[in-house]
Amino acid sequence: MNEPEKAFVRARGLRKEYGSGEGLVRAVDEVDVEVARGETLSIMGPSGCGKSTLLHLLGGLDRPTAGELWLAGRRIDGLSERALAQLRRHEVGFVFQAYHLMEELTAQENIELPVLLAGRSPGEARRRARQLLDQVGLADRADHLPSALSGGQRQRAAIARALANEPQLVLADEPTGNLDSAATLEVLRLFEALHAAGLTLVIVTHDERIAATANRLISMRDGAFVDETHLVGGTKGNLADLAGLGS
Amino acid sequence: MQQEVVLAMLAKEPSQGSQLRARLDRALGPLGDAMNDGQVYVTLGRLEKAGLVIREGAAGSPARPDRKVYVLTPAGEERVAEWLAEVSWPKPDLAEFHLKLTAAAAAGLADPIGIVDLQRRELLRRLRDVQRAAMAEPDHSDAGLLLEGIALRLQADLRWLESCERVWTDRRNER
Amino acid sequence: MGRPLLVWRLAVKDLRHRPAQALLLLLAIAAAAATLTLGLSLQGTTNNPYARTRAATNGPDVVVAVFPGDSNGSGPTATAKPGGSNATGRAVAAAASPLLRLEHASGVVAHGGPFPVSWTLLHKGRTVGSAEVEGRSPAVSSVDRPKVTRGTWVRPGGVVVEAAFASALGIHVGDRLSLGGTSFEVIGTAVTAAVPAYPGTCGRPIGCFLVGSIGSYNPGLVWATEADAVHIAGTSGPEAYLLNLKLNNSAGASAFATRFNANASPTAPTLYSWQDIRDGDAQVIAKARTVLLTGSWLLALLALASVVVLVGGRMTEQTRRVGLLKAVGGTPRFVAIVLLFEHVLVSLCAAGLGLFVGQLVAPLIDRPGAGLLGAPSAPSLSGATVVAVVAVAIAVAIVATFVPAVRAARQSTVAALEDSARPPRRSATVIRLSAHLPAPLLLGARLAVRRPRRLLLSVFSVAVTTSGLVAVLIVHATSAPSSLGPQVIQATTIISVMLIVLAAVNAIFIAWTTALEARHPASLARALGATPEQITAGLSVAFLPPALLGALLGIPGGIGIYDVARSGGGATTLPSALSLVAMVGVTVLVIAVLTAIPIRIGAHRPVAAVLQSEGG
Repeated sequence: MNEPEKAFVRARGLRKEYGSGEGLVRAVDEVDVEVARGETLSIMGPSGCGKSTLLHLLGGLDRPTAGELWLAGRRIDGLSERALAQLRRHEVGFVFQAYHLMEELTAQENIELPVLLAGRSPGEARRRARQLLDQVGLADRADHLPSALSGGQRQRAAIARALANEPQLVLADEPTGNLDSAATLEVLRLFEALHAAGLTLVIVTHDERIAATANRLISMRDGAFVDETHLVGGTKGNLADLAGLGS
Repeated sequence: MQQEVVLAMLAKEPSQGSQLRARLDRALGPLGDAMNDGQVYVTLGRLEKAGLVIREGAAGSPARPDRKVYVLTPAGEERVAEWLAEVSWPKPDLAEFHLKLTAAAAAGLADPIGIVDLQRRELLRRLRDVQRAAMAEPDHSDAGLLLEGIALRLQADLRWLESCERVWTDRRNER
Repeated sequence: MGRPLLVWRLAVKDLRHRPAQALLLLLAIAAAAATLTLGLSLQGTTNNPYARTRAATNGPDVVVAVFPGDSNGSGPTATAKPGGSNATGRAVAAAASPLLRLEHASGVVAHGGPFPVSWTLLHKGRTVGSAEVEGRSPAVSSVDRPKVTRGTWVRPGGVVVEAAFASALGIHVGDRLSLGGTSFEVIGTAVTAAVPAYPGTCGRPIGCFLVGSIGSYNPGLVWATEADAVHIAGTSGPEAYLLNLKLNNSAGASAFATRFNANASPTAPTLYSWQDIRDGDAQVIAKARTVLLTGSWLLALLALASVVVLVGGRMTEQTRRVGLLKAVGGTPRFVAIVLLFEHVLVSLCAAGLGLFVGQLVAPLIDRPGAGLLGAPSAPSLSGATVVAVVAVAIAVAIVATFVPAVRAARQSTVAALEDSARPPRRSATVIRLSAHLPAPLLLGARLAVRRPRRLLLSVFSVAVTTSGLVAVLIVHATSAPSSLGPQVIQATTIISVMLIVLAAVNAIFIAWTTALEARHPASLARALGATPEQITAGLSVAFLPPALLGALLGIPGGIGIYDVARSGGGATTLPSALSLVAMVGVTVLVIAVLTAIPIRIGAHRPVAAVLQSEGG
């Protein structure tokens, strides 16, 4: 079957359960999903529907209770912590909802972290970090600690960090949650640029406006997919109607 | 096209039809392209008939209205002032869709949930276009602001459709 | 390569981010390291001074002693025999004849004495003590020429006091003192290698014969002229004679003495080699060393408890850090290296600090006292000491990182990131029992049981401290301060102080961590009407039972420690019940005060601030 090769990310029967017996919670319930290389997929759903958990599973941050998971043709659900870590080092970038920056490192050092981890020289790391800081608009805050950054700035630093090692897959959990509309548009433009460069992107969000910019939108409820929409543009003519400019 | 909009645009200075058109385009950005050329002139005509606007300028060539310059009358100015102070807001028009669902369910003609899904997909596609247009605008531009408003409205509508789906699904399950 | 830089950067930045904690950890480990250094470096430091004294005074190779001739023979240990001397000086004098034979035994090349010795009370002003008075000729003797450090040698009416004895009792040249009722002038102080210096004069190997009130004090050596000595001895005459021998083979003195003692009858004189006397001098330092070594083990245990508390307090943060590093691509091994490196860094600095301080303080205890010549050999740290201290420090670091490192390898990354530390244990029994308590006490009780490990640590910490203090009390109860010597007293003081300081640090830190955990429920309680004082009282009271338990456990603990450290025989006198009760009481009181401080600070923080930051 050539299908697995076509899909960059492939999950079959993915399940994640917590607790046992009466207290059993199915956070992710028999999910099948395929993401093509270079595709942008957005996942929407009410809080507690399991979309963040699914994202964690896709990124190897958590182990599924059952199911199979392939990334770039490689089976990853049974890998050791060590192998998963190396996966995250080079192939997958993760943007957390809570940012999870290291409190004791400056913004620039946080972005340098994955690069140094991958064994590159400090000079390279510094250059890459500076480049990303410019891209996300944090160049003037490079030497600030996270505690001195606003929520939106921290979010942008977290995004930059996820991109540090030029991953092929970026998983983002509510990447624009704390941003105002101007900053949101900035991030969307960034994602658009990455998409144009061939990056595969999975975005979890509860904001329809973000979700709508993807190629494909999946709705989740109670741990399972309930709907899938392929998004292809309508005509601009509709825009004027929407604006109330119709005759 | 609201008559008062054109009136208000003339309040700055008397203008030709083409100048008005240009100003509208700037304020509307990509949405401006969708506007019909003739709409402005039709509206100007109505305003003239209502006595809120006077046409001035080169007389004797009614076939070339774009050369004429339009000026606000005192009544027109008064109307503009009134309009600026008004707080009326475009009404949401959800009743039609709501009744569509009820009718479909009652008559057994179609599955209401299917109707909702279809509408949702359409709105999502529109939202995508609006968002992409917004992304192409420079920050804080007029058009960007307008697009944000459109997007937020669509988002609100989508959320309501989500509720519709939930409620109609529950109803179906109860039966 | 980038990774070593990263390890360094992460470690240093984390330490700089939480300097207080790092400092506390450093101090805790340094304290243990310092005492360990002290204990280990007090090795045979009296060797050189004794050798020097021996050379300067032409010390004897063998000392022959004949004591009162009762059938039990001469005892080498000091005993106060109530009921007095059945043996009269004449009996002793009769027993002195075998001494003459020894003077000409094979292997003996020179002799000095026999010198009459008696023990008597000493009065100087209001100070009372006992003295061992040895009668000497004003002329220089061939063997054992005590080296006069101040003043001049004996003359009629003038006595010379042994230097350590003089320093301990504050006797100076020119003072007048009375020996056996007669007044004398102190005309000099001297050192000798023939008799162990004060306070070991009546210890091993030779011992003393003490009667009645004389035995209440620890005697020191005083030289007088033979005539004066006999006069002091009174009607019963000298109670012993000492004969100093020089052999042709000094090294064989031990064998010489053993051979003679084995074949001798019970009433015959006893021989002591110079090695025995040197060891007698070393006894005092040995005692101090035992105290310090034992103390350093106790301190190491306390430091370990500190470390566990400090590390446990950081567990959530560390687990989060682990999760974060893993999330950006750090392998479990890398994470372990980062954690370990940070702690090893602190440990090594602590070890260095401890070694430095220990080395600085060592000469203060190290000096053999005034009774031997010269300074101790320069306290250079032996390689073994350095290795031992560093090894202990690194072991502590490894223990501290073990748990989070293992977790890193096993736990999923998300679990680590969202880890809310160990979920607190809820004990149904405690909940039931405490339901009837007033709210603040209820809160305190339930919070205390939430973290059983922390509860155990506070009991442990107090128990270790009080064990040490009880052992010190036993030391002081068993031997009078005068017979312990300044070194031992210094050692016990140092240990006691350090134990108390470390235990205090532990107590404050445990209270601090508890206060942090309690701030949310406490603020709720305050929002509902409890006063900060009620909260403080309630939470602090919860610390009292563990403190009491720990203090009580310290009593058998201290006895056990003393027995183990003592290893040799000898009676153990328990400190008075009153002093034990007082110690327990003071401990509990001090713990109560110390734990109340951080809790009080926490209880006064604005309620809204705490409740609002709930989610954060």
